[in-house]
Amino acid sequence: MPDGEVLLDVSGLSVRFPTSDGVVNAVDDLSFQVRRGETFGIVGESGSGKSVTNLALLGLLNRRAANIEGTALFKGRDLLTMPPGELRRIRGKEIAMIFQDPFACLHPMYRVGDQLVEAIRAHERVPRRQAAERAIEVLAAVGIPKPRERFRDYPHQYSGGMRQRAMIAMALLLNPDVLIADEPTTALDVTVQAQILELIDRVKKEFDIAVVLITHDLGVVAEVAQTVMVMYAGRAMEQGPRQQVFGKPLHPYTWGLLESIPHVDQKVSRLVPIEGAPPSLIFVPPGCPFHPRCPHRFGPCDQKRPEFRDRGGGHAEACHLSADEKRTLWAERQERFTRAAV
Amino acid sequence: MRHWRALAIVVVALGLAVGAAACGGDDGGEATPDTTATEPATTGEEPATTEEEPATTEEEPSPEGPQAGGTYRVDWEETFGFTGGFDPVGEYLGEAFGIQSGLLVRTLIGYRHTAGSAGNELIPDLATDLGTISDDGLTYTYTLKDGIKFGPPLSREITSQDVAYAFERIGTESLVAQYGFYYTVIEGMSEFMAGEADTISGITTPDDKTIAFKLTAPTGDFPFRLAMPAAGPAPREVAGCFTEAGAYGRYLISSGPYMFEGSDALDASSCDTLEPIAGFDPNTSMTLVRNPDYDPATDTPEARENFVDRFEFKINSNPDDIFNKIKAGEIEDAVASEPPKVIREYTENEELTPLLHINAGDRTWYITLNLTQPPFDDIHVRKAANLVMDKEGLRRAWGGPTAGEIATHIIPDAMLNETLADYDPYPSEGYAGDVAAAMEEMKLSKYDTDKDGICDAPECKDVLYVTEADRLRQDMQPPTSASFEKIGITLKVRSVEGAYPVIQDVSKNVPASGRPGWGKDYADASTFMVLFDSRSTLPTGNINYSLVGLTPEQAAKVKASGTVEGIPSVDADIDACNVIPVGDERVQCWADLDKKLMEEVVPWIPYLDATATQITGPTVTKWDFDQFSGTIAYAHVAVAQ
Amino acid sequence: MAAYIVRRLVWVIVVLLAVTMITFAIFYLLPTGDPAVRFAGKSPTPQVLEEVRRQFGLDKPWYAQYWHFLSDLTTGDKYGWPGLGFSFDTRIPVREELLERAPRTLSLAFGAAIVWLTLGVTIGIVSALRRGTLLDRAAMGFALFGVSAPVFWLGLMALWLFAETGGGPDWLHFLPGTGYVPFSESPSEWFTHLIMPWVVLALLYAAFYARMTRGNLLETMGEDYIRTARAKGLTERRVVFKHGLRASLTPIVTMFGMDIALLVGGAVITETVFNIQGLGAWAVRATFNQDLPAVVAVVVVSAFAVAIMNLLVDIVYAWLDPRVRYQ
Repeated sequence: MPDGEVLLDVSGLSVRFPTSDGVVNAVDDLSFQVRRGETFGIVGESGSGKSVTNLALLGLLNRRAANIEGTALFKGRDLLTMPPGELRRIRGKEIAMIFQDPFACLHPMYRVGDQLVEAIRAHERVPRRQAAERAIEVLAAVGIPKPRERFRDYPHQYSGGMRQRAMIAMALLLNPDVLIADEPTTALDVTVQAQILELIDRVKKEFDIAVVLITHDLGVVAEVAQTVMVMYAGRAMEQGPRQQVFGKPLHPYTWGLLESIPHVDQKVSRLVPIEGAPPSLIFVPPGCPFHPRCPHRFGPCDQKRPEFRDRGGGHAEACHLSADEKRTLWAERQERFTRAAV
Repeated sequence: MRHWRALAIVVVALGLAVGAAACGGDDGGEATPDTTATEPATTGEEPATTEEEPATTEEEPSPEGPQAGGTYRVDWEETFGFTGGFDPVGEYLGEAFGIQSGLLVRTLIGYRHTAGSAGNELIPDLATDLGTISDDGLTYTYTLKDGIKFGPPLSREITSQDVAYAFERIGTESLVAQYGFYYTVIEGMSEFMAGEADTISGITTPDDKTIAFKLTAPTGDFPFRLAMPAAGPAPREVAGCFTEAGAYGRYLISSGPYMFEGSDALDASSCDTLEPIAGFDPNTSMTLVRNPDYDPATDTPEARENFVDRFEFKINSNPDDIFNKIKAGEIEDAVASEPPKVIREYTENEELTPLLHINAGDRTWYITLNLTQPPFDDIHVRKAANLVMDKEGLRRAWGGPTAGEIATHIIPDAMLNETLADYDPYPSEGYAGDVAAAMEEMKLSKYDTDKDGICDAPECKDVLYVTEADRLRQDMQPPTSASFEKIGITLKVRSVEGAYPVIQDVSKNVPASGRPGWGKDYADASTFMVLFDSRSTLPTGNINYSLVGLTPEQAAKVKASGTVEGIPSVDADIDACNVIPVGDERVQCWADLDKKLMEEVVPWIPYLDATATQITGPTVTKWDFDQFSGTIAYAHVAVAQ
Repeated sequence: MAAYIVRRLVWVIVVLLAVTMITFAIFYLLPTGDPAVRFAGKSPTPQVLEEVRRQFGLDKPWYAQYWHFLSDLTTGDKYGWPGLGFSFDTRIPVREELLERAPRTLSLAFGAAIVWLTLGVTIGIVSALRRGTLLDRAAMGFALFGVSAPVFWLGLMALWLFAETGGGPDWLHFLPGTGYVPFSESPSEWFTHLIMPWVVLALLYAAFYARMTRGNLLETMGEDYIRTARAKGLTERRVVFKHGLRASLTPIVTMFGMDIALLVGGAVITETVFNIQGLGAWAVRATFNQDLPAVVAVVVVSAFAVAIMNLLVDIVYAWLDPRVRYQ
């Protein structure tokens, strides 16, 4: 477990959107900590509430539309109750964010350089020229070739990978403490994906920051995250150090996820998707939200909501199965899985 | 994207172009019979009767009497509508006659510019008297007054050569004299027109003051023709610069009491230095100021009092606005058709009533019956139709009594000195139609085979009836159709936009139409009788809709089918009246011919002797109607200072 | 860019040629009355009619007339350049009439454009930012009114209320009535005479623009790059006005260009109600009077305006949106 200073301490975070169809429970009672120097991975299928979590933290949700509860302490200050002006000064400067689709995230009508300069000048009173110099430096740092020329280009003149690099550059401009990366590689080619992940890992080290990496891709998390949280239907299912979660997964949902991804190291040619579809966030199943899709469900699963508990070593999960049952079941599944593959 | 835009351009332009093409069909025919007056608006009050004494229809002068000075402002609805660019030689618009005859273009003989019969009588203007007519009625001699001058920038004496030059202009084909046919009776005019002669042999100017006209045939109403603005003196040094129709209108040199503002700035030293006079912009406005070279001593207050200092004529596209401005005293008068609600307001509100002026329009509206087409080729059917027609019903469609008197014969009463005022060959109670008499008449017709007074022959079924596709004609149709049905004639009504071109095309053989109306050019009945002169029948553009006097030879030429034999002719009667000099005898001759037409030919069902309505503002202290031009008597109006 | 503009200008010429030729063709191929008759008088002799036709150039076949029109247009006629002949109706050079009327219509169109652009875009922004509030509903209610109220009625109401000659309460009558005063004659009169027409004409368009701005802005504010802008820590004002508005204005630029171009052809009803005597009223009168040279002149001006505004729109579009520029 990393021992850096706790930068982000979220506890009891819930986000609900009242709509005409009913209340959407996007995030339900979520708690986690992010420390300096670590990459905190949040994994889940789309609609699991992982992106909403981070948008809520940064005040990027429409507060009139969303009902947000809980606390999110950043360096001791609660992001959720902070006045908008104060939060704005933190956004981009102390907590930066990059998003999934670099094609859509840069304004198509402004030069990349101008968009970087604008980010600097939103927080610091520096002359344009000076801001531009810094932006060019950072562009170079994230691996944009000929940064001085590229500075004057428009987003559409960049390739997808370069755009994401530019987005990372934009995030790093003001030397933030936390970088939230929301599906940063999803829209990119596989080769570019690796480069971007490497870059994120590198800047984490160089700038000594915390990274919150949000993805649906377990493989990505497995490569770069130190701590992993698995979300389902707005709730945390399992959380712990990467080795724990990937090596000894405790939650049937995590099992399903692991079986549904290709492992480079295992000779697996067949993937097993999780049966069924994620639930509607308006009608979240009672008890364990995963129970309708869970092959191991039994008595209490559809009655009682399992407690999210630490099972030792910072490895927490929420499932009614006993520790022994889990061990046995996981072993069986692994065996079956491997056999089927051979 | 680009293709889409190109398409948009084409669509826009096409819209305009299609609009142009689609809307363009109407006016050519429309203008022809209607040029001298606008249709009277619908109103709700008895028209003021026109009387002998000119003063009786004038407004009561204010206690202190009308004063000189001030500006008389007139808004014109939508357009001036000039037909010849305001060049007197080609100008045929009644409203233009009013301005020219009253203010800008004096003629050898002219008018009093007042209401009623007095306004239709001729008086000397530039000439010292009404002229001398030779015993054979062929030579007319006039002497010019002393002290008559062209206005700035010429400011010179008007000579008999200037009057003669006007006739050269009339005879110049390229200037397109719109009523040049009135002057072909002058000896040598036809040769001059054809380019066979350099001068008009029948016009002589023995000295600067004397001019004589020699005619090829006695023409009793020739003096009326001399009172038309085209016959007013024109200065060769300016007018001679223009060889295209209508072009001289913007350079018109005044011979009257007013002139275009800015006339004095015209550089008339040569044709090349001429620039349009600032006071007349055919698009938007015309401004007249006093002509410093006009000497009132050469004129008579009976004809012109010239109270105001200035006339401002402006085009206004919003009729509501025009009448709001009149009411508010921002302008004095308008050349516009009053919206019905305005007429209603002025007839119902006693304070406003004095500001509403209703005068005889010298215009007859009628249903024309084609003498060659069954069942109207039978005079008994035509008579029965006259008897049965609900004329009061038709007038109601026009807005009731303010629209005019019920017409019972062809020529407006004011033009016949009221000699036929009590004449009605087809009388009925309340002008609602006499069905019994009509049926009696119908029994005499070959189309009423069982002699029960109801036409039963197939010729009476689905008789084509062409009319205008407008609100008025739509309102007229129920009483028209109902009347015809009472004698067994059913109409197949065709409402078209631009009915005139249809009925003016003889080959279309239209049996009947409710479209036509006819107004005078000048106050002689001959200007109505051209409608029955078989010699004026044309294949297209024909105005003898009834084809009176058509011969079988002519019928073949103009492609008239149907009954073309035995059609009565009044050509000889017209010629007989035409030679009689202006006066009671001549009027009586026309009145007799009118009766003959109504009883022995029956080409029409006349139904309305239309009025001209005018609304003036509170600032107007004296107002009069110009009977000749059918518009404001500009030379007699005055405004409060 | 220069090559692009040249290419477009060539295209403009092609379009003008096509449009004028079609106008000529329609004028002659569809059965209409003879424009010469009106000028020839009550019962013209064939010779007189022929003379008028000759003076009007109507004695030649339509393609010959068209050729004549083209050569006059390009090389000028005796009244100057471009040669547009004379009006069959007023008998004055069409060019002179055009120069007299064009400033009126341009004053009306561009003044109204400023009003509706300001009004419409402002209302649209406020409405989008305060979506669902009373303000938004009021603004959209206004928009509905503006779209559905007939211009003719609005104009008459405005005159009734505010014009000196109006029938409404006297204390409201602080504007002059109808008509147009040239700017060169009196700038202040020019302005006061145009206030009502501007506003009345602008109301209709403002309503459209408000709805469009609101819709576009709402859509744009949901874009990812807006989230990026916010994540950068920009102030909301900057997010809306710099990032949101720029992207939502581009479709409005296209619409604006078209609207202006079409208005240059004449805002017939507004011109009529307020007695502006611009190109629109002229076009209508010319079509009714079969005044071919005037009709063609208005067609040329309209087509030209549409083409030029398209070009301008493209240039502005390229300036606003670099993606277009580099394609």
